[in-house]
Amino acid sequence: MKKTVSRRNLLKGGLAGTAAIAVMKNNETQAAQTFEGYPEGMGVLVDLTRCVGCRSCEAACNKEQGLPEPAKPFDDYSVFDEIKHGQKRRTDETAYTIVNKYDIPELDHPLFRKVQCNHCQEPACLTSCFVNAYTKTPEGAVIYNSKVCVGCRTCMIACPFYIPTFKYSSAFNPRIMKCIFCYDTRLKDGKPPACVEACPQEALTFGRRNDLINMGRQRIRETPGKYVEHIYGETEVGGTAWMYLSSVSFDKVGFDTHVPKEPILNSVKEFLAIVPMVLTIWPGLFAGFHLLATRKEKIKEQEEKEEQV
Amino acid sequence: MRTRKRIIQTAFALAFGGILIIPTHGWSMDAEDAPESVTIDSLANLYTGVEFNHAMHVEYASCQECHHHTTGGAVVNPNCARCHRNSGEADEVTCTGCHATNRFSETYIRALEAPELYHIDKPGLKGAYHLNCVSCHETTSGPTGCLDCHTMTESGEKMFNTGSHSPAKGQQSGH
Amino acid sequence: MRFFSKERPEIPIVNHLKADGTEWTIKEKLWLGLSVAEYKKQFFRNPVNWLMIGIFALGVPLILQRYIYGLGAVTHASNDYPWGLFLGFGLFGMVPLSASGFMLGTTVELFGRKDFHPIERLALLNGLLGYFFAVLFLEVDLGMPWRLPYPMFVSLGPAAVLFLVAWHVATYLSVQIAEVLPAFFEWIGWLKGKRVIRKMVLGLTIAGIILSTLHQGALGALFTYAPSKVHPLWLSVNFQWIHFFCSSIFAGLSMVIISSTLIRNFMAWRCDDEFKDNLDYITIGLAKGCSYAMITYLIIKIVAVAHDQEWSYLLTGWGSYYMLELGIAVVLPMFMFAVGIRNHYVGLIRFAALIAALGIIWNRLNTSMICYNWQLYQEIPHWKEVWITITVYSLYFLTYRFIVYRLPIVYGWKGEK
Repeated sequence: MKKTVSRRNLLKGGLAGTAAIAVMKNNETQAAQTFEGYPEGMGVLVDLTRCVGCRSCEAACNKEQGLPEPAKPFDDYSVFDEIKHGQKRRTDETAYTIVNKYDIPELDHPLFRKVQCNHCQEPACLTSCFVNAYTKTPEGAVIYNSKVCVGCRTCMIACPFYIPTFKYSSAFNPRIMKCIFCYDTRLKDGKPPACVEACPQEALTFGRRNDLINMGRQRIRETPGKYVEHIYGETEVGGTAWMYLSSVSFDKVGFDTHVPKEPILNSVKEFLAIVPMVLTIWPGLFAGFHLLATRKEKIKEQEEKEEQV
Repeated sequence: MRTRKRIIQTAFALAFGGILIIPTHGWSMDAEDAPESVTIDSLANLYTGVEFNHAMHVEYASCQECHHHTTGGAVVNPNCARCHRNSGEADEVTCTGCHATNRFSETYIRALEAPELYHIDKPGLKGAYHLNCVSCHETTSGPTGCLDCHTMTESGEKMFNTGSHSPAKGQQSGH
Repeated sequence: MRFFSKERPEIPIVNHLKADGTEWTIKEKLWLGLSVAEYKKQFFRNPVNWLMIGIFALGVPLILQRYIYGLGAVTHASNDYPWGLFLGFGLFGMVPLSASGFMLGTTVELFGRKDFHPIERLALLNGLLGYFFAVLFLEVDLGMPWRLPYPMFVSLGPAAVLFLVAWHVATYLSVQIAEVLPAFFEWIGWLKGKRVIRKMVLGLTIAGIILSTLHQGALGALFTYAPSKVHPLWLSVNFQWIHFFCSSIFAGLSMVIISSTLIRNFMAWRCDDEFKDNLDYITIGLAKGCSYAMITYLIIKIVAVAHDQEWSYLLTGWGSYYMLELGIAVVLPMFMFAVGIRNHYVGLIRFAALIAALGIIWNRLNTSMICYNWQLYQEIPHWKEVWITITVYSLYFLTYRFIVYRLPIVYGWKGEK
């Protein structure tokens, strides 16, 4: 009896070992499982109906992150009319956040939209990075490590919001420049990011992501007609830490409403799934083909040898 | 109606020696009770404080439009009325009484977890001021620009790269 | 060269021994058995070399500019268009055109089709150089090129598609070096090395198939990271890797047809009779492979449109462009291959191969640049970016030619084997 038990244990150990190897080998597929974000993660709810386009957030971000002096003062509102390649302003290596103005025909006043990293729950930049330069912190920030970055810029391809920017101007010290939720200086100490603190209108509400969703729903529910019934970022690309409320449909204020509902990684899984299969099936398959294809030759060789003997 | 109630209340109070002032439900304040002017400068940093002419604003708006239910008058927002129809005058009518200056602090955010709490979305003090003032100014054609109400301080100019801290002219054409 | 080969029987070098019975030194082999003056003479007689000199005269300073002043100085790479020609052409275009190595390695070594043997080494070399220069293009494009080994050894992100590409291209590059080494060993006369590789050849070939399947597919899968950016007709989340893999088959074969044609016409002195006599037959054989791969590719392309319910896109301007691409880059050469195979029109096949190869580059540029950000705006590469791309490609051409001139690629080594 004792023997059987020990043998069973041995078997168990063996199985566990095999499973461990399988897990280690299948790193690629393991990582492809869904991750719904840290429960305690923080976020920001951006209410477009509150924003007045004062650009205080831009100024605060600039100072907090030590970004270069802007070309125009932050109280210069002519920047809202800047158009490049037919597009409104975007974030770049000198600005982690920008505010754009949208004239809405059915409204008697313009709407303003703040753009910064949305700090996805399952970030595409992170999952596409082959040197693990990105980290989603338990606080909710998606941060970047310039020390390991190779500069391949796949994260910029993968980000559905066009957020990571590259320091193209530098040959010796280039890096990705993007909003990091003021992680180093504020968020990790429980403080809100600089832009949130600077916003006079509380268009930016900082809080636990879960609480923010409740707040957003409350605003939609209790002020009927004020908002469209959607929190942008609640489900987009698997959910983002920064979310938006708007009084007009989101495509009218520059949002991409066609981004997938699922994390970007999900569309890559199709391929990731075949990797272990090719790795395990191909060798046997093609070795078999080889044997079949060269069988006649082998027989011939054999016969020739036998004849010689 | 209101005056009569007031008279009864006063009479009642007088009857108990005139020293006993109990905040009673259904008791509301009047514009005359308010100060002439309020200096709003508790958050002043980038801008100087605002000298708020309360007396003048009383002509434009009723108390409850800014003070919600706290002054005892009938609340404007039907959603608030669900609970505050008869809640009467509150102990505290100042903005700072309810709207926190530490709106995004860890302690405040943790307190929002209380399951019974309804006001999970109450703006902080700065937000409350601006949301209230600006939205009304927009509809009544009041001043809405930052500098219409505020004077920018030296540190404000530094923050906004404006005034004495404007970007160098040479660089301006660079972009 | 033809000029010298008529005058001196020992040139071109096919043997360790000179006419007088002494051995060629490596240095002499490198100079093709010519004196420096003779070498210079033949070099400057060739108009292609003058073209190369012209390209490098401007290209080298531009590359220096890129490494001193950054990518921003020479490219239109931007925050909206992170990838330009260096990757669009250099990586996404060069890699499929270099699938020849594993294709012919498989045909000859694995399926035992010895009749394709004369072109096997050329296909392997074509593969090796294509990959090597794809990596070189990557080194031009990477922000921190000195950190190329990071994904391998310093900071690993194994869940990323690019991680696969990096590892597989690196391993496959080693595999291809090993596969081409026998030619080098014959040339320097170190037969022991050749025998060692010979024993590993089946393993190397199978490794080649695995790695090729995965990284050719992975290059396609890279675009599935941008499902909302690449035009839906050029991006199929489910089939992208098969599209890229399948098209690399005929791309690689077409590239060998092109390369062998050029060598046959402009380097006839270097080819031996086995190569020259069998080339037409082999070309037809390669064309058969191409046409099968193309029909398969065409079908999966249509399946992808059907699967994603994208028929309505075909009626838009982008749809017309898509059908133009499929028509010119796939259907036309496929038809030409078919006619060529049937009637033994080798010339037509060669022309079809050229169209097919250019068509693949067109497809990769469409996917990575032209139809990328289709809802934003289209970016036109900086002329310096174009020039640098041409310069690196010219370097590829020169390296290719340098090796084919010397190593037994299109001729059999007459010395001891």
